[in-house]
Amino acid sequence: MAHAFTKEAPSGWNCGKCGEPLQPVSVNVEYMGSSFFVQLPGCPKCGTALIDAELALGRMLEVEKLLEDK
Amino acid sequence: MEQSTLESFESLCTQDASPACQSNCPIQVEAAMVIAHLAQGRVDEARKSLERHMPLAGLCGWLCEGPCLPACLRGRLNEPVDIPLLERHAVSAGRGTKPFPMPQTKHRAALVGSGLSALVCAQGLAIKGHKAMVFHSGPIGATLNDLPPGTLPPRALAEAIELLEYLKVGFRETEGGPPDPAGLLADHGAVFLALDDPWAAPLAPAGGAADPVTRGSGTDGIFLGPGATETGRVEAMSAGKKAAASIDRLFQGVNPASAREREAVGPSRLAVDLGGQASAPKAAMSEPPTAAEAQAEAGRCLACSCLKCLAPCPFLRSRKGYPKKYAREFYNNIITAFGIRHANRHINSCAECGLCGQICPNGADMGKFVGLARADMVASSHMPVSAHEFALEDQEHANSPGISFVRPAPGRDRADYLFFPGCQLLGAYPGTALAAYRYLNGALGGSVGLWSGCCGAPGRWSGRGRLTARATESFRALWRQSGGGAVILACPSCASFFAAELPDVPALGLWPLLDTLPPPPGATAIAVAMVVHDPCSARLDAEGQRAVRSMAAKIGQKTIEPRMTGRHTLCCGFGGLASEANPDMGREYALERTRESPGPILAWCSVCRDRFLAEGHPSLHPLDLLFPPADIGARLGSRPPGLSARREGRALFRDLALGTVWLENPPKEKTMPPNVDIPGEVLADMESRRILAADVAATLEVAKKNGPVFANPETGRLIASHRPRQVTFWVEYEERPDGTLLVHRAWCHRMVVPGVPGEGAESPASLEGYARTGGRV
Ligand code: SF4
Ligand code: SF4
Ligand code: SF4
Ligand SMILES: [Zn+2]
Repeated sequence: MAHAFTKEAPSGWNCGKCGEPLQPVSVNVEYMGSSFFVQLPGCPKCGTALIDAELALGRMLEVEKLLEDK
Repeated sequence: MEQSTLESFESLCTQDASPACQSNCPIQVEAAMVIAHLAQGRVDEARKSLERHMPLAGLCGWLCEGPCLPACLRGRLNEPVDIPLLERHAVSAGRGTKPFPMPQTKHRAALVGSGLSALVCAQGLAIKGHKAMVFHSGPIGATLNDLPPGTLPPRALAEAIELLEYLKVGFRETEGGPPDPAGLLADHGAVFLALDDPWAAPLAPAGGAADPVTRGSGTDGIFLGPGATETGRVEAMSAGKKAAASIDRLFQGVNPASAREREAVGPSRLAVDLGGQASAPKAAMSEPPTAAEAQAEAGRCLACSCLKCLAPCPFLRSRKGYPKKYAREFYNNIITAFGIRHANRHINSCAECGLCGQICPNGADMGKFVGLARADMVASSHMPVSAHEFALEDQEHANSPGISFVRPAPGRDRADYLFFPGCQLLGAYPGTALAAYRYLNGALGGSVGLWSGCCGAPGRWSGRGRLTARATESFRALWRQSGGGAVILACPSCASFFAAELPDVPALGLWPLLDTLPPPPGATAIAVAMVVHDPCSARLDAEGQRAVRSMAAKIGQKTIEPRMTGRHTLCCGFGGLASEANPDMGREYALERTRESPGPILAWCSVCRDRFLAEGHPSLHPLDLLFPPADIGARLGSRPPGLSARREGRALFRDLALGTVWLENPPKEKTMPPNVDIPGEVLADMESRRILAADVAATLEVAKKNGPVFANPETGRLIASHRPRQVTFWVEYEERPDGTLLVHRAWCHRMVVPGVPGEGAESPASLEGYARTGGRV
């Protein structure tokens, strides 16, 4: 999948609400009419996902630009 | 975009017009290309380039007299490039290629006489698959057999004849006089009379010269070789080549006269600058020249091209191209139905500054074309949403009810004049802008009102036609309400916006007006001479340019003119929102100015000043000199106010103006909650991604209400997130023991990720070009 990106769970971070340590969760992200599943660190209990700075400013930004040019 | 729009722009850029050597060649040889290969020692490629336009190059390459030589531009500096000599070198050193004939057609042509024109014509017909029969008397080649010794290598003519025979050209030795052309037409579709063969010469029609374009004789089907005055060998080649093309058209049922413009000999349309070209006299050469000598001679070619507009423009230099080529790419980008639109970013990187249009000898303005391309992208919802979003939101902010205001002068109910400082100028230094207002109002008898807002230039630059129409409508309404006085514009971009979109609103430039008033009492000058930078949107505002310099002189400020000034001034990178869509390119524009400025810059647009300051180049706005802050030296070398500071500056301007001039008590705009601490480097890092302090504050507000989204008990760090519009913001922070929130980092993304808190928020910007995301994102 050309748009795919994954992200390891960073250590030390817990869900603010449930207190659970983050683990890889599968979420469906969406932009400009395209959507696809990615693995992101998130709360195994409530599903809250974390997009960290490295991902947001790196691979995710690239994919955003690509989809905007489509 | 209509194709005709593209074509009319393309016709202005003559960069790919033939250079003088080619436009003066009777057989359109691309001499510059042949020479370029020779200069690199690529003899086979050189010969191949020659063969593209010169038939039977192994023969003809020895024979051209060089009628192009007087036109060669090297000849304006030294002797012209010896093009005939280089052609001879290409055919002697380069390997020839066998032409590949087309499949045989049913058409037959008769050629009477076997001079050079006949051989060339026969070749042209044969490669098109037509049957050519050459009627001759005596040796094939006629006078080519009598050339002075040494003109041709021994086998050149024989090899040319062998090549023609390979191409199935027939040769028929004929007894007695030449056959009657009219009779030949009975079983040939066309007849060519090679009048350069003395045997065929008597067939020349009495008094009738050949049509210079088609070589037609006036009798249908009969075409003429060189006449009595066309004695040059290259003229014979040209006549044979043109006749072959005419006969081929005739056989295909096409008018022989159509689409022949490229064959005309004439001056080149290419604009070539000879300034700065080094002298290169012709060196003595052996006969024949050695490979090294030929290569050196080829090296004297100027490789004539235009590309004048590229030198000062980082956008035009950024890819291997020139305006005509880019326009074609942009057009193709627009009409792309499926797949990636690769040129989007490039289209959005032009500053629409108009410099190229001033430099180009034909006035080709890439910026205007880019403007049309952007409007098209917006109209078809293919403008990348992120490209201009921040600037459009900034425009909305400057015109929002809590920020924008219009007031007639205190104590008046209508304004004779309305001072419009512009959203960037008043946001950067609200105090300076307000001082200018007070001074103007005093000097003009208390008749000047004040108007804070954004003109709408960002919408226009980004191609948003509907947004611009709405902006101008509400502007016009406000202006009428205020009494319909003359608007005094401080910002050159506002001025060009008003001129284009609000031509019915009387507008005055600030500088010509100030120049009629005595300088304000506190005005000051700095000790060093300043480089005057005319903003690109004022490149045609000669009156404004004059007035700024006049004001500087009156207050004793010494100035220097940069190389690119007045109508040739450079853009700082803000124009066309280039720096929004492409920040790196935006910096290149600014550096183009700062690099060549030997002193501090005096820029009469506040954005220009701030962009030069951001590159570390000391800069001031002339208002900084007229209404100086307490420490002008500090402003001269300062870091410019950032995006957040500018927004706060607009709110401050409103508070200051309404509070101290109109003595109103305006409700304070909410600013940063006092318990958030954003260190300077964190703020700079945020602003490079267009994240405002207010965005961070709003995100932390959400966390205060709902708790942080993530927590790291080891480090004590917390993460908050918030999606107030089509962007999700993230803030990593910690809570200090005293309760202040220390921000470590903030970042954002546009993608929608379910499970990220704040997703699903409404999309407040109802701007055009967001159509594709609709209410979904
Ligand atoms: S100046 Fe630029 S736009 Fe004009 S002809 Fe030359 S290359 Fe083309
Ligand atoms: S300098 Fe070179 S390109 Fe220019 S006219 Fe002469 S041969 Fe042609
Ligand atoms: S940035 Fe200015 S000079 Fe460069 S192409 Fe655009 S309008 Fe022309
Ligand atoms: Zn949870």
